[in-house]
Amino acid sequence: MDKRDLFRDNVLTSGHRACSGCGEAMAARMVTDLIGPDAIYINATGCLQVFSSHNQQSAWQAPWIHSVFANAAAVASGVEAALRAKGKNTPVIVQAGDGGTFDIGLQCLSGMIERGHDILFVCYDNEAYMNTGVQRSSSTPHAVRTTTSPPGRLANGKHELKKDVISIMAAHHMPYAATATIAYFPDLKAKVEKAMSIKGPRFLQVLSPCPLGWMHDSALSVTVSRLAVETGLFPLLELEHGELTGVMRLAEQKPVEEYLRPQGRFKHLFTGKEGGVELRHLQALADARIRRYGLLEADTKWDTARAMQSERNGRGGYVSTSTSGGAEHGA
Amino acid sequence: MKQLLEGSQAVAEAVRLCRPQVVAAYPITPQTHIIERLAQHVANGELAAEFINAESEFGAASIVLGAVASGARSFTATASQGLLLMTEVLYNIAGLRLPVVMICANRAVGAPINIFSDHQDSMSVRDAGWIQLYVDSNQMAVDMLIQAYRIAEVCELPVMVCMDGFLLTHTFEPVVLPSQAEVDGYLPAFQFARTLDPTQPMTIGGASEADNYQEYRIAQHHAMENSLAVIEALDAEFEQQFGRTSGGLLQGYCLDGAQIVLLGMGSLMGAVCDAVDNLRTQGEAVGALSLRCFRPFPAQALIQYLSGAQRIIVLEKAISIGGGGIVAAELRAALYQAGITTPLESVIGGLGGRDLTPEVIETIFKKRVEAETEMTNHFAPNHIITDEIDSGGKAHG
Amino acid sequence: MAAVVMFLLLLQEEQNMAPKLEIEPGSSTAYHTGDWATQQPLYQNKWPPCSQTCPASEDIQGWLALASEQQWQAAWHKLAERNPFPATMGRICYHACESPCNRKHLDSAVNIHAMERYLGDMAIAQGWCHEAISDNAQSQRVAIVGAGPAGLSCAFQLVRRGYHVTIFDAQAKPGGTLRSAIPDYRLPKSVLASEIEVILALGIELRLNTRVGKEISEGELRDQFDALFLAIGTQQARPHSYNDRPEKGGSHHSIMSGIEFLQSLNRGEQMRLPKQVAVVGGGNTAVDVARCVRRLGAEVTVICAQDPHGTHHRDLATEMPASLTEVVEAEAEEVQLIYRAGVRRLVRSGEHLSGIEIARVDQVHDRHGNFNPKYFDGTEEFIPAGLVIFAIGQEADWHGLETLPEADGVWLGGDTVSKSKLAAVAVGSGYQAAMSIASSLKGESSVFNDHKKSKITFREMQLHYYPKQPRHEGETSEQRLDGFKEVVKGLSDNAAEQEAKRCLSCGVCFECDNCWHFCPDAAVIKKEGGYQIDYDYCKGCGICAEECPCGHIDMAAVT
Repeated sequence: MDKRDLFRDNVLTSGHRACSGCGEAMAARMVTDLIGPDAIYINATGCLQVFSSHNQQSAWQAPWIHSVFANAAAVASGVEAALRAKGKNTPVIVQAGDGGTFDIGLQCLSGMIERGHDILFVCYDNEAYMNTGVQRSSSTPHAVRTTTSPPGRLANGKHELKKDVISIMAAHHMPYAATATIAYFPDLKAKVEKAMSIKGPRFLQVLSPCPLGWMHDSALSVTVSRLAVETGLFPLLELEHGELTGVMRLAEQKPVEEYLRPQGRFKHLFTGKEGGVELRHLQALADARIRRYGLLEADTKWDTARAMQSERNGRGGYVSTSTSGGAEHGA
Repeated sequence: MKQLLEGSQAVAEAVRLCRPQVVAAYPITPQTHIIERLAQHVANGELAAEFINAESEFGAASIVLGAVASGARSFTATASQGLLLMTEVLYNIAGLRLPVVMICANRAVGAPINIFSDHQDSMSVRDAGWIQLYVDSNQMAVDMLIQAYRIAEVCELPVMVCMDGFLLTHTFEPVVLPSQAEVDGYLPAFQFARTLDPTQPMTIGGASEADNYQEYRIAQHHAMENSLAVIEALDAEFEQQFGRTSGGLLQGYCLDGAQIVLLGMGSLMGAVCDAVDNLRTQGEAVGALSLRCFRPFPAQALIQYLSGAQRIIVLEKAISIGGGGIVAAELRAALYQAGITTPLESVIGGLGGRDLTPEVIETIFKKRVEAETEMTNHFAPNHIITDEIDSGGKAHG
Repeated sequence: MAAVVMFLLLLQEEQNMAPKLEIEPGSSTAYHTGDWATQQPLYQNKWPPCSQTCPASEDIQGWLALASEQQWQAAWHKLAERNPFPATMGRICYHACESPCNRKHLDSAVNIHAMERYLGDMAIAQGWCHEAISDNAQSQRVAIVGAGPAGLSCAFQLVRRGYHVTIFDAQAKPGGTLRSAIPDYRLPKSVLASEIEVILALGIELRLNTRVGKEISEGELRDQFDALFLAIGTQQARPHSYNDRPEKGGSHHSIMSGIEFLQSLNRGEQMRLPKQVAVVGGGNTAVDVARCVRRLGAEVTVICAQDPHGTHHRDLATEMPASLTEVVEAEAEEVQLIYRAGVRRLVRSGEHLSGIEIARVDQVHDRHGNFNPKYFDGTEEFIPAGLVIFAIGQEADWHGLETLPEADGVWLGGDTVSKSKLAAVAVGSGYQAAMSIASSLKGESSVFNDHKKSKITFREMQLHYYPKQPRHEGETSEQRLDGFKEVVKGLSDNAAEQEAKRCLSCGVCFECDNCWHFCPDAAVIKKEGGYQIDYDYCKGCGICAEECPCGHIDMAAVT
């Protein structure tokens, strides 16, 4: 076991083969360290599974299983049922990408929720099939360039809209469903901790930029995910039993262009003839989401400015094991 | 104690006696009676298990995968389309070397959609890495199911008990159900080392590459081969304890002095044995061989049983479209390997619930014996009586 | 029976038949992804702009960090390392440190001087003492001429390093210009006295009323001491071209110098002023004089050759040199200011001064950069005044010390050699002199490391990680013109706690955990008191550097 860090467990430890600046690796590292090694992790096929378990070298320092692409939620249902049968209450966590959540995994996920399994399902949403080379998924936003939604004479990238998966989750009247992103660690931490305090099926959608697929500088993964929130394109929400119970208020609405500019996947909108209308469309989508969720006027604990704030000696750490030396930083 | 039970009920009782902790399934005819009875047992508190209503067979297989990986003995059952929907997970369960036990209530595969029995479903997943055991009767289904858990857990291989839909699942027969104590004496509590356990974190199902994937597959194959001896040994142990054998890998009937052997799998063998009896009275030197274990393929045992035969007729309830009879092809390869060139032919019949009665089997036998032997596939006649047994080509001509 | 034996044998082999599959993989830590990196992060302390600008080179970020954790005494010690006059400087320093403060790009600069004063006042109130750096007494003796901020600063540094220090001063009390030229409403004498007392308590010998060349000779100084620091200040006014003619029978002059005026005021002398006074000059002394004149009940007009503040963004030399805050205070006290004007002549009515004639000036400095205004004819204006005070600069009085500056083993410092004549510069020069003297006495060459650190601007920082918070100010007195009481009050405890936390810690890690949280590769290891990059695994993505709020992390190419 790697115990280099006294202040967290590194459930997903070093030596994994994610691309440089991978938002999903960052998100998974945060989420799993917030939950800790005393849990069972079920992984759908995807980037995270491939880069973390590559060729007999595992980056997982907790029990972890991968079966196939579509069935993570069902495998987890079995794990949870087995634990229940044995009278154990070890937390069960599913990790999947947007393909394993929005598309191929949706049926098993829906079944898992409907049956009320005590499982946290975490979707690391990087908005396309990155593992197979950036193909469009139902999570890919409108107008995005992917290898299967290329812009061309007759197309401006993906024609369709990003699937509103959080609403689908909420429609199950599940105890807790929330969106989060890597840019706001305190918010992510609060949501993971809240999710872990609730029994039953829980869902967390974590926007996780992919420098390769989104075509931005590897250093900008956090910045880009922050802008997704600040523009209103990716609202941070909490839904409990189908009702909206919390949003991250926008301290200031940023124009979508600020989010789109650093990303090559939107470049054609700035160079192509028809790009302008798509830019206005994306701005309209952001405006509509802001209005739908009241992101500018909601009365909330924190807003996008406050949630960013860095503080001397950190803003809270991870769960600590008994062997850890950083107990005072523990949650 | 002998009871008159429907096959599904009998086998559900056997499942209960094996004390699974997780049962997951999705309804499909003709498997439903099995899980319905298990659901009732759970509801009544007669079976301390989590009963999970999966959202599909794909989900059901995945649920038992997760449950067994967590150290819980589990059960699922399916058939036909459901089995094919499970296919990806079946391969995965086998690759992960998880001792899952399931029942396949054998049924035809669409299209055209057909709910009645043949072996097309299980034969289609023969390469998935599961031990496949075919049973002749409801008693054997009960006995084999109990053995299946023992085999799976010793070999760390999944086992599929194949029982013909309707012909067995919906048929009432008197069966002897062992007591809980007897089953407990045969089948110890589930012990499995490679489980998901935070005290001993383990990575299961990681990615592999060319450097080691082949080693995984070879190891899986060797485990399968080794399981032949385990299956025989555990049947012997079963016989010693319960006084009944399921025949291990295969079971002969009237093979003494048999020059012609009729070979088949599943409930068909009851009719075959009746046909053999009739033919014997007519002076034919005929015997029957029931192949219980199709995977792993018991080549050595088959050679041992068939080395004296002068002619072999394989009766099959599945077809590899464009290839023909599957069992015959494998048997032919095994005999050829052993230098045995006994004439062997494949007769495919009973598809989609078509009856293979003793009379049909006798007709097949007679027609084939009269005919000049061809190393080819033939189709069983529509009904008893006079129809020529069509050759494969002509049948579709 | 045979079957049973066979079966038992098989059972024994069951264990062997169980799979021998190495299904548990090893750890990914065996794979060093650090090999992928083309660039690597480096933790690198930068030189924050406040410290760059502080004439005393205070580690402002450092003491504010301690203050933000309410380690007040540690903060005071850290501050005093470079400046033993926090209560004094916190009041009178024009806080050049605040103008480049990166915080102004977020909301407004940190109120550094108020924090400095807060710590200084707390030290006085709590009776905190300075501590020696070294217990080893040095054999050498150092003489310092001038007990002003430069001399005392130098003495403070040397005595803490074990040197025997003697200060000579011609005046009856220590403090130099701080005592003689700063009005009480800006710096109460008691505050200055307290800070000097604590410095002297370190064991400095002080000889007052001792003028070199009179009570002690240059030769004696050279003989008795191993090193000599001259910080004699600028106690005499720069001469102007107008003759000073005493009023007939009058006790006050119609023309004075600013320094004369302030010195006599600070000696407690009673001054009677005419109804209208003109002050000539654009520096801080001119503004001090004008504000004092207001407190003595007269009207005052300041004639300044330069433009107002904020007129010339790039050419500060054409702007009024006085501190903006002082000018704002002066205007609030109804001091009249006339910019870009100079005095052409004094207008007299017999012996009596009736006013001055001013004219607009063109360029303020000549080609050589010397102050040399050119007047525009036809722009003349009469300013009525019964007294004109010239505050156009001061000079050192080298009388009796003429040979020393050229000699070996002699260092110069303070206003004598400073162009800006700021007290903080004097403190800084005292520190530098002390370091240089100490090195010289040890036979080492002196090096100032500060200037080797790389600087940092807000562009290398991520200001969105900091909350916006208004700047805290000390209260300003309502009855400001009622005597010479302090105008600006210190920060409340609560305000000080909050204000200290406003420091952005430019370029200096404050352990916010961002790099640690955001590393996708768990290559940032958190330790007690900081972080460490595990280069075996760092892929060089650059996220840590990008998301470091304070710009502490640099990315360097892997070679």
